[in-house]
Formats: sequence, structure tokens, C-alpha cells
Amino acid sequence: MTGATSWRGHAWVAVPLRLYLGALFIYAAVHKVADPAAFALDVATYEILPLVLVNLAALTVPWIEIVAGALLLVGWRVRPAALVVAGLLAVFLAALLIALARGLDMSCGCFASQGAESDPISWRTVLRDLLWLAMAAHVAVFDRAHLSVAQLVRKGVPP
Amino acid sequence: MTTRGADSVGMSWRGALVEAAVIALAGGAIGLAVNLLRPEPLPWRASFPYETLVPCPEPIGDAAPMLPDDPALDDPRTVLVSALDAAASRALPLPPRLVIPYDYLDEVPMADVKAVAAVRGTRVLVIGDGQRPDSGEQLARELAWRGVRNVFFVQGGAPALTAARGDSR
Repeated sequence: MTGATSWRGHAWVAVPLRLYLGALFIYAAVHKVADPAAFALDVATYEILPLVLVNLAALTVPWIEIVAGALLLVGWRVRPAALVVAGLLAVFLAALLIALARGLDMSCGCFASQGAESDPISWRTVLRDLLWLAMAAHVAVFDRAHLSVAQLVRKGVPP
Repeated sequence: MTTRGADSVGMSWRGALVEAAVIALAGGAIGLAVNLLRPEPLPWRASFPYETLVPCPEPIGDAAPMLPDDPALDDPRTVLVSALDAAASRALPLPPRLVIPYDYLDEVPMADVKAVAAVRGTRVLVIGDGQRPDSGEQLARELAWRGVRNVFFVQGGAPALTAARGDSR
């Protein structure tokens, strides 16, 4: 590791990032789980997935967000959970870029269903997702299970 | 899980990727299971294409409403523009100077915008269908957006104007 990446503070910086991302992904999933049909319409509006996969994505993606978000919040299997979050963000980013390139004036569908005026896609949305992707990458690389269930379990297990 | 211990500290990237796949599969399985418990489950596969309506960019110019009995309507310096089709425009109690039928899906042709500007009136007043949304307000906003100044629309459109002024037929 270089000097910048070997800094011991990274592990502590990863703690609030992990908690923030965990809460964020659970929050983002709430409206999708509450109304999967509306979220399916959001997914369809991007016009990327074939029709056969739209409902399947609308049913499964929110729960993947919840499981990964919960693991980040409690701090268990953090690196895999951060990779899941990073993977989801990469997919969301690709969808956003395609929609923007097509000039679609539409809702992001990230935190509410329908209504381009409430959460419209824009280059700001892309930057926001890039920031979250960087956070997820940081957590995946630097998390050392501080303030986590994993740490409690490790301390409780005799050597 | 593929590594020893409860945490992922020191876990190889390959192991982490395998566990990430497991998490994604588990989350997806939970999602499908929860859907089955709903009173009206969403079918895994949509039967019909979704009716996705992506709104067109809206004209964003400023246009003010004007009451149908406002004296400015009779001012010869007011340029009356009808957003209705030719037949409906002929039935208006005040004859419009220009007829530009408004189409929600098409931009107003630049030639029509230039025609409005070329009249050189003090104000432009657009009469629409009075519906929600009102074609007159939409045309007025689009004209303002395209650079025409002092644009107004008749509040309530043609029905309100006819009620206030009487039918010309």
C-alpha cells in the first residue's frame, strides 16, 4: 500500500460511510417495496430492460438493496455488502447515462415513484451516484469492522 | 459463507465477490417470496408493455392571465391570437388576427412565432380552449419562451370569452 492508502484513519472514515450507505439503501428501497407496480413502471420508463425482466427487476432489486443496506448498517459481511451496493450503483449509473443520452425527461425513481418534477434525472444525479459509488468502494477497501456486529462476535470468540 | 469468522476483514476479493453474489441472490429470493405473500402479487413477467409516458419539455416562458371582460381585449393594439383550429376560431366573439392551432406534441413553427412578432402590437393575447391544461395558456407560454414579449392568455379560454361577450354565430 502507498502512504495515502495505508493511513490508519481510513478504517474509521469507513464507519460513517458504511452507516450512511446502509441507511440510504434501506430508505431508497421503502417506496419500491411498498408499491412494486409503480417501481416497475419506473424501471420500464428507462426503456433499457426487455419487458420480460421489468417486473423481475422491480421485485428483486429493492430487497437486494435492503439486505445489503442492513448488512452495512449492522456491520456484518461488510466487504461483500459494499460490493453489492457498488454493483447496484454501477447499474443505476449506466441506466442514468443511457436515459440522459436519449434526452428523456423523467423521474429517477430512486426515492419516489413517478413525477419528473420530484426527482428528475440530470447530471447532478450522475454525480450523486458517482459519489455514492466512491463511498461504497472506500468501505469495501478500508472497512475494518469497527463499531460492528462482526467486531462484537470476534471479541466474544475465544482465540 | 466462504471465509472464516463473522467479519469480512482480510477476506480475499474473490471470496467477497462470491459472497456478494450470495447476498444478491438471497435478496432477490426474499423479494420474490414477499411478492407471493401480497394480496395481489405482481406477476414475474408483465403481460402487456408498460404505457410509459415521458413528458415533453414544457415551454417555460411567462404569460399572464387576462379576464375575458378586460377592456384590453378591445384595444386595437392588442394582437389576438387563436390557439384553436380555423373553424373554432371563426366562431369566436372577437375575430383573431392570427390563428395558430396549438398542438401539444409539436413545437410552434418558427414562421408563426415570427408572424406574431411582425404584427408589432402592444401585447399579444392568446385565446385557447379553456380546458385543463388550456391550449391558450400553453401557446402563450411557448410564444413567451420563444422570445415574444407581453404575452397574455384569456383566462378560461374561448368558453369564458363567449360567455362574457356572447356568441358571434
